[in-house]
Amino acid sequence: MELIQQAYTGVMTGVIVVLAVLIVISIIRSILGPGVSDRIVAINMIGTMVIMITAIFSVMLDENYLADICLIYAMISFLGVVLFCKVYTGVYLQRKHMLADLKAIEDNLNRQTEGHVQEEEAAQ
Amino acid sequence: MTGEWIRFAVSCGLLILGAGFMVAAVFGVNRFHHALNRMHAAAMGDTLGLLFIILGTILMRGFSMDSLKLAMVVIFFWIASPVCSHMISRLEAMTDESLGEITVLEKNNGVRVEEPEKEKSGGKPSKKKKQKKGGRER
Repeated sequence: MELIQQAYTGVMTGVIVVLAVLIVISIIRSILGPGVSDRIVAINMIGTMVIMITAIFSVMLDENYLADICLIYAMISFLGVVLFCKVYTGVYLQRKHMLADLKAIEDNLNRQTEGHVQEEEAAQ
Repeated sequence: MTGEWIRFAVSCGLLILGAGFMVAAVFGVNRFHHALNRMHAAAMGDTLGLLFIILGTILMRGFSMDSLKLAMVVIFFWIASPVCSHMISRLEAMTDESLGEITVLEKNNGVRVEEPEKEKSGGKPSKKKKQKKGGRER
């Protein structure tokens, strides 16, 4: 019975170490990623791996409340990703509208100066 | 005693299979070049990797209320993960300026014919003239 317990602990520790290394690689990807969407994908995957590690710990340490933490972490991770997407969509749209407003102001200025020039020509 | 060892072998096999799926997912996310391709690789880890690891833990723990909670994690994640992917792909389709031109305007002469091909062959702004026939290299 001792031997099988040691074997369980060894395999679970190995899987946890592999997942931890993968989390580090995903963090590097989320720093390097060229766009916002790449970073959000990497963050989503880090959340998945943290849920896996928590589930394995709940068996390994024999603590039952870690299953609840798993469930709540899944919900908060989902909420976080949806919130990031909404926020960056809003940022992009706001930037686009600001650029459109600047272009409209520029067009108006051009039109007014052209009008002035035409009026001056007409006066002359 | 033999039953215990069989249970150990099956549950540890499931755990290692899930970890292998996560390795494949992280490898894909680091190797692909565009966000829509990366989501393709990340969705595999979200569904199959989580399923196998939670199945392994359920098998180790035995069936009880706590393993039901762990199963609820899988069910919730399978509902929530496509929503996440939809949001991310909508963000990508909105913010990436070079994504819509390729398929909609140039490939089909402005006629929107094949919707499913759009995501697979899209996102390659520089090689759009070469891949008219080949379409989906990666």
